Amino acid sequence: MAVEGFSPRMVGFLCNWCSYAGADMAGTSRMSYPANIRIIRVPCSGRVDPLLIIKAFQQGADGVLIAGCHPGDCHYVEGNYYARRRLAIFRSLLEFIGIDSRRLRVEWVSAAEGKRFSNVITSFTDELVKLGPRSEVQVGA
Amino acid sequence: MAPELVQQIRDKARELLTSGAVDCVIGYGRATDGVTARPLFVYEPEKVDELIFDETCTHNLVGYLVNRKGKKTGIVVKPCDSRAINVLLNEGQISRDDVSIIGVVCDGVVETGWNRVGEAQQARCQYCHQHTPVVYDFLIGEPREESPPSAEDYAAVAEMEAKSPEEREAFWAEQFDRCCRCYACRQVCPACYCTECFVDKLDPMWVGIRVAPEENRIWHTIRAYHLAGRCSGCNECERVCPVNIPLSLLNRKMARDVEDLFGFQAGLDDKEMQPLGAFEKDEKLGIGE
Repeated sequence: MAVEGFSPRMVGFLCNWCSYAGADMAGTSRMSYPANIRIIRVPCSGRVDPLLIIKAFQQGADGVLIAGCHPGDCHYVEGNYYARRRLAIFRSLLEFIGIDSRRLRVEWVSAAEGKRFSNVITSFTDELVKLGPRSEVQVGA
Repeated sequence: MAPELVQQIRDKARELLTSGAVDCVIGYGRATDGVTARPLFVYEPEKVDELIFDETCTHNLVGYLVNRKGKKTGIVVKPCDSRAINVLLNEGQISRDDVSIIGVVCDGVVETGWNRVGEAQQARCQYCHQHTPVVYDFLIGEPREESPPSAEDYAAVAEMEAKSPEEREAFWAEQFDRCCRCYACRQVCPACYCTECFVDKLDPMWVGIRVAPEENRIWHTIRAYHLAGRCSGCNECERVCPVNIPLSLLNRKMARDVEDLFGFQAGLDDKEMQPLGAFEKDEKLGIGE
């Protein structure tokens, strides 16, 4: 449910070689995108342990973005292929324990796709605003 | 189980110990309550008559093999336990040459408690399609014809998925709230053998020390995820849980997803690469598309 004035907190794990450079590209090209995202640079999307994702949610993130090189373009040749399988499984598990899987977004953004990066952040932010803040169920309350 | 089959287990254990093929046989013995079973380590051939096998032998003994790396060991396994052996072999945790496996054809085990043997079979046995061990050196009993898997097997998972996200979150919050983080589920699991578990790390402290369902949720989510494609379904974690958290629901959910997405079942052989350690370049998994 949408909440008045809600500004989502997002954590973005961006791969050093493509998506982080893509974010730089967005910046140097003077493209604007919502400032809701807190970017964490990781060596590869394959570095993103699901532990980091669930920890981000537990620490109060409304959404988590993972961005890496397009399949086939991984700097480490195959890191993002592993990430893809892992995240497919983990997203389904998140959904199962009641965290809306739309709050976990995975996108492939290359170093040249500054525009795409800005679009991804904008659409993800819009979606999270629609979903509203995450409701932590209070037990016994 | 027929007494002659139990006698076969004892004879085989005696043979292994006397010939020096192994220095220990891990099997089941009678617990001190006189009716249920407990794990039994037999080191001397004279003691093999203490070995038993019946429908109370619920334990998965495979976890003990990891602690006996490099030592010749005999082990009594049920079919579900034998799949865990394949998982350990696949991951290079144990050597096939070190273990002599006495596989037992199993008709299922029952719910047990202290001094109490239930009538009903355990839930996991009701949807079990593996009555003959998948890996063994000696087979006790006649191999069975197996029934094919059916959609009914995952009925509990499907029922959970049919609920709304809010209901699911509330359900799990209540379950995880009870968790006292004794980690019995981890200790009993043959696949949980990391020398340092992520929950034991202090820096970074992944699971905080405060008492809160969100902290417990990290543990249970990552535990289930770490077992995706590795859980053999012995369900010992749920049995040992002192607060009865339905861990099988999480494990079965992962097992079904892995089966649906990658056509893989854990521990059916020891060669096939586990799905999360492999990939196909052109697969479509709904991630980043």
